[in-house]
This record gives sequence, structure tokens and C-alpha cells, in this order.
Amino acid sequence: MNILAIETSCDETAAAILKAKRGRLELAANVVSSQINIHKKYGGVVPEVAARHHLENIIPVIDEAVQAAQIKPAAIDFIATTAGPGLVTALLVGIETAKALSYAWNKPLIPVNHMYAHLAANFFNQSIQFPALALIVSGGHTEIVLLKNHHHYNKIGQTVDDAVGEAYDKAAKLLNLGYPGGPIIARLADKFSGLSPINLPRPMINSRDFNFSFSGLKTALLYTVQKMTKKEIKTRTPEICRAFQNAAVEVLVSKTIKAAKKYQVQSILLAGGVAANKKLRADLKAAAEKNNFQFRVPEFKLCTDNAAMIAIAGYYLSRKHHPQKDGWQKISADPNWEL
Amino acid sequence: MKIITNSEKETIKFAEKFSRSLKGGEVLALFGDLGSGKTAFTKGLARGLGVKNIITSPTFVLMKNYKTSAQAPIKTLTHIDAYRLKSGEDLEAIGAMEFFNDKKCITAIEWADNIKSIIPKNAIKIYFQIGENNKRQIEIKKPPVALR
Repeated sequence: MNILAIETSCDETAAAILKAKRGRLELAANVVSSQINIHKKYGGVVPEVAARHHLENIIPVIDEAVQAAQIKPAAIDFIATTAGPGLVTALLVGIETAKALSYAWNKPLIPVNHMYAHLAANFFNQSIQFPALALIVSGGHTEIVLLKNHHHYNKIGQTVDDAVGEAYDKAAKLLNLGYPGGPIIARLADKFSGLSPINLPRPMINSRDFNFSFSGLKTALLYTVQKMTKKEIKTRTPEICRAFQNAAVEVLVSKTIKAAKKYQVQSILLAGGVAANKKLRADLKAAAEKNNFQFRVPEFKLCTDNAAMIAIAGYYLSRKHHPQKDGWQKISADPNWEL
Repeated sequence: MKIITNSEKETIKFAEKFSRSLKGGEVLALFGDLGSGKTAFTKGLARGLGVKNIITSPTFVLMKNYKTSAQAPIKTLTHIDAYRLKSGEDLEAIGAMEFFNDKKCITAIEWADNIKSIIPKNAIKIYFQIGENNKRQIEIKKPPVALR
């Protein structure tokens, strides 16, 4: 089975070809064209600019994927595309392209939820013991999802305000570190070792539910920085970054483990763009293994936005519902599609 | 009107009460720094309008719509976050302005100062200021009577 997947929910224009043979998945092509350098100066992704670049890149990116995989359109079994959540102007480019190809090539089209795809990246030739619990962390989402099997899932917790990736971005903005905030804060945090008097709160760490709050952490950081002189902020930036990262990661790990115990799962999965954060990967892995849970995280290149994960998700969804050829007519962008 | 709240909870309560004065079609332009209470206010607004979903930050997707179960004709709460934007044109691109002054809709815009050019003249302006000991000052400025 050959799947063509398209992803344009945010600032990456991506296409991938996945080949499935007797349950074994092979990534024949995985092309990602990033706009991150274009959006850096705006401090985030600008919808109008993103849409324009997606439009320029989408056909060359699909073309490159098809050529790299050395596959003819006739050999493609179906197309999978991100239908949400994401920026509506960006989503539309991928969806409309996928619909046009679906119609022109007479291939079924499967709409994929971007967050499900992030966690499905864990299914790529990795065995998973079910039930499993997934922590999905990105710029727009922070969610805990319980999985009965590959495609039966429900959300059991989420952020009640800011997503963790957004908290990193806003912390970086408070410290004048630019956009995106995740990589730079992680890098600076590594530069500080030793004891620090800065102690930031771990919001909702003891709440009974499995929700998160990162808005309060941001406010606490603001109060901390307000008490310092400009010079002090500059010299102590690595220390502040470390305090921030420690707080954010500790809450994520603690709540995930608590949920895993309550639901008596076999394994813990980490997914989403923030899963590229080394400290989160290492700390969650250590905590999971200490408590005898199997731990899974996708390889780095499958954590950030890509189309390979859309193809993997499409593959598992197609096993649940056989895709229909006229399916494209009913598919539209859903920028707030919840898991 | 100016009030002081002593905690996030009080800000939410205040907004909940404020929501009952809304008739539909209002645009609320919220001004204030990071952590000054804009999102807390929107959460209270949602609670007052009977939104069942959890209100999360729309910074990333810029706009989120929620179904309300409020007094007629209000059916939707549109939550917009202009934090990352430099001008109103970016919001036009995602169709946000369709909701402004629509009778069925209450629109709350965080970081309204970033997109001043497209804030309607009849918007209710709400200013948030951080005080000491978690205190927040909230000032509500209604548009001139002729524009209401």
C-alpha cells in the first residue's frame, strides 16, 4: 500500500510517501520545506505570509516527494492530508491541493487530525503495548491522551490556558531571546549549573485532574524578571532559563506519570514539537522506566511538523475506516479540530 | 468604570458578571501587558456566557470560536489574540472581521493595541494594569452613546 501525505497546518510545507508491506512501514520520501526563517522576524507565524509561501512551495514539495520515492501517481493507493487543527489560511493550501489531486487521480482522501498524527509518529515501526498514555506537547497544544489501541483514543487532560511551547515562546520574549523560544531556552538552560535562588511555581502539579496551566508560570517569570535590573537579567539569563525549564518539565512529567498510574497503562508515549526538547525526553524516559512503563518517543525528525506522521496516521485510520473515492467532497479545514 | 481585583479568581468573577450586560454584537478590545489578566477576563466572560469548553490561549491559531448558551441572540464567543501580529491585515486574512458587530457574536480581542487600525469605533475598550500583591486594575471605557 502506498500513501501520499500532505501537511501545511503551520509554517512547514511538507509531503511524504509511505509504503506499507504486511504491516511494515517504509518511508520512501519525507520532504519538509520550512518557513521558520521567514517568520522569525514577526515573532511567530503570520497567516497571510504562511499561506503565500505554502502556495509557492506545495507543488514543488509534492513533486520532490514523488520523484524521491520513484513512484507513479497510479501506484498511490490513497492521499492523507492535515485538516486541522492549525492556521486556517495555511491548512487550506494543503487541503485544496489534496482534494484536487484526489479528484484528478481518482484516489481516496483521508482527513487527518494533526495532533493524532503527532502521536501516531510513535507507531512508526515501534511496537507499542496498549493501553498507552500519550503526552502531546507543541506550540498550540498540551494534552494527555489515553489510547486503547492504535486508533481508539480519548483526551483526559489538557492545558487550561497556554500551551507549553507557547509558554517557552513568551518566556523567550520576556527575556528578549527572539522566536522560537524552545530551542534557545533549552540551550541557555544547559549553560547554567549549580544552585539558584530562583524558584518558579509548578502550577496545578497537585490538582486532581490531568490538566495543566502555564499562564501562571509565565506571570511568575514576569514578576521575577521585574525585580531585576536589565544588566542582571542579561547576566543571569541562563539561570532564569534553567529555572523556567525545570518548572515546565517537572509539571509535565509529574502529571503524565500520575495519569499513567491512574489508568494503569502499559506504556507512555511522548509526541509533538516540544518532544524535541532533550530535557523533557530524558526526564520523562527516566520517570517512565523507574515506574516500569514502556517509553516511546519518535526520532527527532518525526517530532517537529512533517508529512510522514500524517501518512502514518492515515495508514492506521485506513485500517479502521476504508477510505472512499468521493471522500474529498466532504473534507474542509477545521482550524480548531479537537482530539 | 474602574475596579480593582485582588486575584485571578476575582477577575474571572468580575468578567462573569460583566458578561450579563452584553446584548450581542459587542467587540471587546482588551489592552494590557503579559500576565495582566486579559485571558482570565475572557475565561470569566466565557463562563458568564455559558461556554462549556475550556478557554485556551488562541495565540497560536489567532482565533477560536466557542458556542455559548447565553441570552438570545448571542450564540458565539469569538476569542482573538493579536499578540503576534503587527497589523490588522493579518486578521483580515483569517476572516476574523466577519464576527465584529454580528448580533449573534461577542468578540474579545487580546492585545488589541497591535491591530488598532481594524478595531471598530464602537468597541468597548478594557484596560488591564498590574498592581502590587496580585492586584489588577481593570478600566472599562464604553463607546460614545451615538455609536452604541
